[in-house]
Amino acid sequence: MSIALLVTVGGLTTVGLYLITARSLSRILLGFSILGHAAVIALLTAGGPPGNAPLADRDSASDIANPVPQALALTAIVISFGLTLFLLALARRQQALTGDDLVEDDLEDKRIAARLQTASTEATA
Amino acid sequence: MVLVLLGFHLAGVGMVLALGRRLGIRPLLALGGTAPAISAVWAVVQLIAGSSDRTSMVTWVGGLDLELRFKVDSLALLMTLLVSGIGALVFIYAIGYFNRDTTGGSRFSASLLGFSASMVGLVWADSVWTLFIFWELTSVTSFLLVGHKNQDPSVLAAARRALMITGAGGLILLAGLLVLAQQANTTIISELPAIGGTSGTIAAILVLVGAATKSAQVPFHVWLPGAMAAPTPVSAYLHSATMVKAGVLLLAVTGPAFANVEAFTTLGLAFGLTSMLWGAVGALRQGDAKLILAWGTISQLGLMVTLLALGTGKAVFAAISLLFAHALFKAALFLIVGEVDVRTGTRQIDQLGGLASSMPLSFAAAALAGLSMAGAPPLLGFTAKEAALESLATLDGVQQIVVSVGVGAGSVLTVAYTLRFVFGVFGPGPPTVVAPRRWLMTIPALTLASLGFVGYLVLGWVNDIVRPAAVELNAAADYSLLRWPGLTAPFGASLGILAVGTALGFGVIRRNVGTPEPKGARTADALLDGVLVAASRATGRIQHGSLPVYLTVMAATASLAALPFFTGLDTSGLVLANQPLEMVLAAAILVSATAGAFVGSRLGAALTLGAVGTGVSGLFVLYGAPDLALTQLLVETIVVVGFVIGLGHLAQQFPAASGGWRLTRLAVSVLGGLSVTAALAAAAANSVGQAPLADLKAGAVDEGGGNNIVNVILTDMRALDTLGEVVVLATVALGILALANVRPPEVPG
Repeated sequence: MSIALLVTVGGLTTVGLYLITARSLSRILLGFSILGHAAVIALLTAGGPPGNAPLADRDSASDIANPVPQALALTAIVISFGLTLFLLALARRQQALTGDDLVEDDLEDKRIAARLQTASTEATA
Repeated sequence: MVLVLLGFHLAGVGMVLALGRRLGIRPLLALGGTAPAISAVWAVVQLIAGSSDRTSMVTWVGGLDLELRFKVDSLALLMTLLVSGIGALVFIYAIGYFNRDTTGGSRFSASLLGFSASMVGLVWADSVWTLFIFWELTSVTSFLLVGHKNQDPSVLAAARRALMITGAGGLILLAGLLVLAQQANTTIISELPAIGGTSGTIAAILVLVGAATKSAQVPFHVWLPGAMAAPTPVSAYLHSATMVKAGVLLLAVTGPAFANVEAFTTLGLAFGLTSMLWGAVGALRQGDAKLILAWGTISQLGLMVTLLALGTGKAVFAAISLLFAHALFKAALFLIVGEVDVRTGTRQIDQLGGLASSMPLSFAAAALAGLSMAGAPPLLGFTAKEAALESLATLDGVQQIVVSVGVGAGSVLTVAYTLRFVFGVFGPGPPTVVAPRRWLMTIPALTLASLGFVGYLVLGWVNDIVRPAAVELNAAADYSLLRWPGLTAPFGASLGILAVGTALGFGVIRRNVGTPEPKGARTADALLDGVLVAASRATGRIQHGSLPVYLTVMAATASLAALPFFTGLDTSGLVLANQPLEMVLAAAILVSATAGAFVGSRLGAALTLGAVGTGVSGLFVLYGAPDLALTQLLVETIVVVGFVIGLGHLAQQFPAASGGWRLTRLAVSVLGGLSVTAALAAAAANSVGQAPLADLKAGAVDEGGGNNIVNVILTDMRALDTLGEVVVLATVALGILALANVRPPEVPG
């Protein structure tokens, strides 16, 4: 396996994780996209050594690259494309409604935490 | 047949719930009592017909031994007789107990019948998992029944305490059963071999603690007096005759497996003797007749646990006899207390007087049952107590001294609190006003009480029920209950116990101690509250609502789980790069991505994303994947365009993040990247076999009719998958349409 690709996968994962933990929805979106790239390259490297395009009429079976990870990767690319565009639409909607694209803290969770906090202080009091 | 009977019970629950709105509580109770009555008749028929093994099972997951497995052996038949027989009588009694216009009838009847079903299921279970399921069901139905008067906070607190203690005990029991089944290599209870070793000790301790919570052994007994908040039919049925016997039953059936485990005997004796003494002392301190009986139950259960912990043939025989006799007299006494409560309006013994003449039938029943509880002839309780005392004679050494002193003292106290109960309720005192008799309450109590005497008369039949059950557990338990033991040492001990107990009893009858503070219950409640407060605090801290923090925690957890990949990494298969151009592309991708992470402008970020995508396309070309490269380029173009269009209205710059939090995110991200790299390298080092390239190629050409193997895989081999993918994309497109169609909120005014 190629160290260059391993490092690429690791680097892309790092950047992707860093971005999806941001507050800004457009950064999260970038992060998802980059994590998608990392996953696709990981699939490709796991499939074995590189070879010629898997076309049955051009090469013998011993020369072609493993087609199975390619098929999986194609699915991954398409799904991550769909996800990215969907997040983009979400960010746009958020911006249209609130003026920016920041992910707010979940109000319901905050309310639960606040209620429990008062309940526990009452119980200890 | 076993499954049919269970079906009857469940159908009964369904009918009671369905008719709950139309019928009053009395018809509902009559309906609910049908299934236990049928089950009791079936048990009697089986006993008369002579027993062969009745096994039924419903397999759920065969390979994992997950099945509902039932076996009605002699012990189960004895228990069925008690559970269903007393159950049917309790349903009749409850018809008299509740007023015609009482609300909540369907809830009560359905819960009581549900309990009855759970209890017979528990009794019949022959797989440890089946047993556990029904064990938990009895805890839940008991909770519903204790909390029946759900308007009263103290009742709810008592119900919660009972559920928490028995529920926690259930979890401990589950752990014990897991160890037991693992060590014994079977889940079938009737085929458990004797186990030993450290795991045997661990299993024995866990099972014992589980049983002790259910059978209210000190220090887990604190829930039982509180459970007396339940309506009296429930207390008579669940908390004296049946459910609290579940722990005793569990110890009886697992006892043979733990025969060689010393901890089982030691801890069991500790639980049993402490409970026997402390329960009896508690009974002497109570002023409420029902609480006297509840504490007495703790004491009696302690005696049974003691005998089962001893595990000798004679002790097991005595334990089963006591189990049988105790269910009869204790249920009768509870039913009498309920009647006194309903007809006089109080259960406090210092407020009751003259009941012996105003409630003569109840007094007769109480006298019979009380004498049986004290162990006086000519009653069933006497023969069982004799068997218990006799079993002590076969012990030796320190064990004999400790157990004999404990059991002797406990029995003396038992006689004393029995006297206190009977004289307190029926003895002289300021005359109490008594409401008219309710026959439906009197008859069941009288029936159960007189069974103790009838049983003594036809002791041969009782022996036919008890002996096979005991022999099943311990082949050496082939004894008989004796009507007249002769002038033996145990008989002498019996007489002595009765004499001392009577003297002590008369000493404390008139001493009104009142109702002592329930300190144990307070402590248990404080512990529970502490757990709840701690849980609230933890929830408030963990679930505070910030998505970035949630994601960071998840990423960190997943990365830590990948730590094992870092050790012993096989790097021999690694090369720097398969083709020189790879290094150039990798560097370009990494630089673009890093720039994307730190660039401040949104447009710049979109462009770096495009650069990363293009670099990845290049890698696809190098790795012989032209389809991927084309798709990737197309996708990347659309995404970058979408980015520019979609976010064109946003501010140019990203908002700044705080320094400390950025560092944390960075650290977690680096950790995540490292663990993914290590996992991938580990996967590569452990490759299994070669890709079936020739087969794939032949398949594509011959079956798919195409030369592009990747395309054939997508459209032919995984066609359904690809269809799903198309559906996902269509859904996304619809979603985007809906999301995009939004106007900014209009400013009012």
